[in-house]
Amino acid sequence: MTRRNRHHERAERDGEHDEPRVADGGHERPADTDGGHERSPTPLEDVGAVGRAFRVEELPPLSSVARWFVTTNHKDVGVLYVVTSLFFLVFGGVLALLMRAELWTPAADLLGANAYNQAVSIHGMVMVFWFLSPLAFGFANYMVPLQIGAEDLAFPRLNALSYWFYLFSGLLLGASFFQEGAFSGGWTMYAPLNVPVYTPELGATTTVLALLLFVASITVSSVNFLTTMHRMRAPGLTLRKLPLFTWTILLTVWMMLFAFAALGAALVILTSDRVLGTTYFAAETAGGSLLWAHLFWFFGHPEVYIVFFPALGVMAEIFQTFSGRRLVGRKWFILAMVLVALQSFAVWMHHMFLTSINLQVKTLFMITTIGISLPFDLMVFALIYTLVKGKVRFETPFLFAFGALALFILGGITGVFLGAVVLDYEFRGTYWVVAHFHYVMVGGVTGLVGGLYYWFPKMTGRMYDETLGKLHFALYFVGFNLLYFPMFVAWETPRRVFVYDVSLLPWHQLSTVGGFLLGASFLVMFYNLTRSLWAGDRVEGNPWDYTTTAEWAVPSPPPLENYPEGTPTYARGKLEFLAPSAVRSLGRTGADGGTDEASTPSTDGGTVVRDRSSAPVVPETDFDEGGHDEHHASHASPWPFVVGVAAFFALLGLSGVNEGGLYLVLLAVGLLLGTVGFVAFGLEPFHVPEMVAAERWPFAGVENAKLGVWIFLASDVVLFGAFVGSYAFIRVAFGWTAWEPVPHDPFPGLVNTYLLLTSSFAVVLALVAAKRRSRAGLVGSLVVTFLLGVAFLVNKAVEWQELFHEGLTLSTGVRTSTFYLTTGLHAAHVVVGLLILLYLIARALRGGYLDDDRPVEYFGLYWHFVDIVWLFLFPLFYIF
Amino acid sequence: MFELSSSVGSVTAVLQAGGDVRTPATEFEAIFRVFLVLGVLVGVVVLVYMTYNAVKFRAGGPNTAEGDADRPRLGELPTGSGGGRKLFLSFGLSAVIVLSLIAWTYSSLLYVEGDPPGDDALDVEVEGYQWGWAFTYPNGYTDSTLRVPADRPVRLTLTSRDVFHNFGVPELRVKADVIPGQETDAWFVAEEPGTHTINCYELCGAGHSYMSADLVVMEPDAYETWYAGTDNSSEGSEPDGNETTSANGTTTANATLAGVLP
Ligand code: HEM
Ligand SMILES: [Cu+2]
Repeated sequence: MTRRNRHHERAERDGEHDEPRVADGGHERPADTDGGHERSPTPLEDVGAVGRAFRVEELPPLSSVARWFVTTNHKDVGVLYVVTSLFFLVFGGVLALLMRAELWTPAADLLGANAYNQAVSIHGMVMVFWFLSPLAFGFANYMVPLQIGAEDLAFPRLNALSYWFYLFSGLLLGASFFQEGAFSGGWTMYAPLNVPVYTPELGATTTVLALLLFVASITVSSVNFLTTMHRMRAPGLTLRKLPLFTWTILLTVWMMLFAFAALGAALVILTSDRVLGTTYFAAETAGGSLLWAHLFWFFGHPEVYIVFFPALGVMAEIFQTFSGRRLVGRKWFILAMVLVALQSFAVWMHHMFLTSINLQVKTLFMITTIGISLPFDLMVFALIYTLVKGKVRFETPFLFAFGALALFILGGITGVFLGAVVLDYEFRGTYWVVAHFHYVMVGGVTGLVGGLYYWFPKMTGRMYDETLGKLHFALYFVGFNLLYFPMFVAWETPRRVFVYDVSLLPWHQLSTVGGFLLGASFLVMFYNLTRSLWAGDRVEGNPWDYTTTAEWAVPSPPPLENYPEGTPTYARGKLEFLAPSAVRSLGRTGADGGTDEASTPSTDGGTVVRDRSSAPVVPETDFDEGGHDEHHASHASPWPFVVGVAAFFALLGLSGVNEGGLYLVLLAVGLLLGTVGFVAFGLEPFHVPEMVAAERWPFAGVENAKLGVWIFLASDVVLFGAFVGSYAFIRVAFGWTAWEPVPHDPFPGLVNTYLLLTSSFAVVLALVAAKRRSRAGLVGSLVVTFLLGVAFLVNKAVEWQELFHEGLTLSTGVRTSTFYLTTGLHAAHVVVGLLILLYLIARALRGGYLDDDRPVEYFGLYWHFVDIVWLFLFPLFYIF
Repeated sequence: MFELSSSVGSVTAVLQAGGDVRTPATEFEAIFRVFLVLGVLVGVVVLVYMTYNAVKFRAGGPNTAEGDADRPRLGELPTGSGGGRKLFLSFGLSAVIVLSLIAWTYSSLLYVEGDPPGDDALDVEVEGYQWGWAFTYPNGYTDSTLRVPADRPVRLTLTSRDVFHNFGVPELRVKADVIPGQETDAWFVAEEPGTHTINCYELCGAGHSYMSADLVVMEPDAYETWYAGTDNSSEGSEPDGNETTSANGTTTANATLAGVLP
């Protein structure tokens, strides 16, 4: 039996536990389905001792340092995310305190202009990118699979890769300070201040590249989470029934997928401007400055919801648990979030009300902006009404969630001020905005801190100290308001300045005091949590009353495989754990649309929602010919880490390629290491069992890896969309008709169109050959595809060579910039395709893919996509 | 009167707005005041209400039901949603407040976006650069201080020589983005003679914090006299290029800057 936590009075709950239940409040469960809490204190050793699979044994124990470099388990990765994000909180926090210290007096004293501008810019980036979302994604990594009843994410190694990209992008950002200084143009990076003419430091380029790596991390993780959440839900757990935290993550990831693709495009263009010398954002480029603003805010506004939604989810979970009430208007709450997520892509121009956009557009965006604020009213009221008739317990997680709601309300009200365009005109660029967005974003942080306390016992098996938790909250809340409220009063201070009007002195000093108080409150938290790791009371099951979600139905911390003793299912309307044999039969009944068909496990009718094979299903695993016990998942791989290191070196090298020397060496080392890492990644046997039965709407018919490819391509569409959009935008500003295509001769382009179309055809033949189990046919078709791709590149190289000779280089002007960069991005896609082809050919030569042709099929998807893109680019850049 | 501290600057501006002319400043103050009152009201009501309920229904409190009947249970699936009526009522109410507020401000927006009243507006071209401002008058005269007559609308056309800036005079509630390759416009009326500070509101490089200039509002007669004495030879010489920021009215700023910049 689980030991109750000391915080809870047991008496009032007794006496109503007689009916047999499987998971009934989390305190007592029948032994046969209890999710394994009769384990030894260290579940991982336990699993190893049973000798369940040699793969598992490869994962070193938790105490070993090596484990943290090779783990692919979602819970480990979740912990890594949480810890790393807290490190970046400290980093960003120190920068903030430096600024607040500088602002203690109205004159410039502590920091120089460059130092201050770097502090503002990097503080903003670190907090938004490297702290806020990653903290939320630490929780998501840990909790989402548990909440939906999956054993891990769909692609565990890609998950580890996301983490390493994230960590190394942060380190790259740190490195930028040592290359003459980091980027100093604000987190919004407005053009043309962001090009080397105005920010020549190498470190500024590194900052941009760090962000780019961060975008890569986010993209990989979005693909992973979307595949997981759409295809790996326990039977009976339809989308509508998902826990609220998982819901917010689902919407967040969808927004991330598209928003970050747009940011990625902006950053690729910026990198090219900074490193290759294109001129998109140069001051002389008509529309260049506005183009950046459009691209940035197309990403930037959804980003606001991206950072806030997970906090909202955490708040909703905590409100329900600590009030003992189900969320009021849950359906509407979810609907409101869906609306916000959709609409978030249609409000970006409200950041540009003071630019030269015309009144009609302003009005339109004013309407969409107000429209998007209304669903939040509903969510706020839903949370408040949840408390009514509740049994509210003011423990630390609730205090933070409650405080977060209060702060968010203030942030929301002050946001309405900004929605009124006439007021926005005056608030733009002032401390009103600074105060407002801190109330909203740090309000979100407050909710997440609540989540940290809420899930701390789940993740560590130990309870934090409640008194210190309350003390943290008190200091935090007072410090917060002391820090940010005075900014509303002193709102006439321009943003990002370190000298201000003397009359505002008292307010800024109050604010600085608050800042240090807020910082100090985190020391209490760090002390509390670190100490509790060793000295906290043990929590073996569930320390909280009235939890509903599945993570609380397993031991704390959960065993490596999450549910080793029974597969979770909601098929009969509530959480149950089925023995493996029962699962098999469940798999043969329908579990597709959230009906309760599966509640009568039988082998008769029902749709068979099983995968083509229960053998290794992910292309990651396609080399797994060893045929080891397929029931046991792999949990360790060193390659994600290696690829992460490689990315770090390569990008650091890229930041200074034009300097040559050491930078070239770094670049070469990075590329080499990356190649090794990726090939080894591909060759490594790594087994991820696909769930036998799962809720998969609306992707029941697509398997995980294929869905992953589709989702990735969706983000790639946005990437190219942003490039083509940028081209169109600049061309309109330039004068559409005055613009002539760069190549005077469309013929090479035409030839390339034929080459690519033919190669697409060859890929189709390859797949047919694989299905017919013809090795020669398969290899032959793949080789033809490869040769056609090479011919495409050679033809392009010749064409470019000629253009260069005519003096048309990347930096000649916007016409050549857009031409080379857009078609160059496409060519880079071709190159990546050819590398994958090489790999496929090598494997096909040894007889691969004849039994399992899916990798060829997925490659085909990518290759067709690249062809289709060319069909758009060719007319745009060669004919019109 | 604008020498008063800026934190009470809004109050002074409100008092001053009692006048007849509608200017961006009066529009702003009127709207801001209503928003402030309503915002505080709504904020207080909502915060008090939520705290009241949280405390009222605290565990062990007199209003809290004993026992766990109908409390959430581990492993349950979420059911439909109760409380829809009340939720929609509050939501509807808040939506109406927000929508009507915004709709009400729309006419103001149209007014501010439109041309300045009357047809005697003074036209000045503004160019921002790293790090200062150049003001060019209709006769071609360029200066680094903006001098305008009191009580007469001033229409600004703004652009930038280098990076993105933002022109703002907080006390007169006028602001506009200053974008290279683009023209934006804005107008204002300064009712009383006096001096105001022009700031840059968009981070534009190392000198951003110091990118300010003076706006001198003169008696109309004094202004006319001063203007008659100017010509396009630009005695207040407009600097060109990023480097040579001295030799003009922004010398104070630049002196400070020199000490700060590496
Ligand atoms: C924890 C979450 C936080 C987030 C997400 C956050 C976010 C941001 C962002 C995005 C900016 C704008 C940067 C820019 O203008 O380029 C900013 C500016 C700033 N933040 Fe934070 N911040 C956080 C915490 C803090 C804390 C704890 C402090 C104070 C101790 C602080 C003080 C400041 C200051 C002084 C500025 C400069 C404002 C300006 O001049 O524009 N922030 N923050
Ligand atoms: Cu400026």
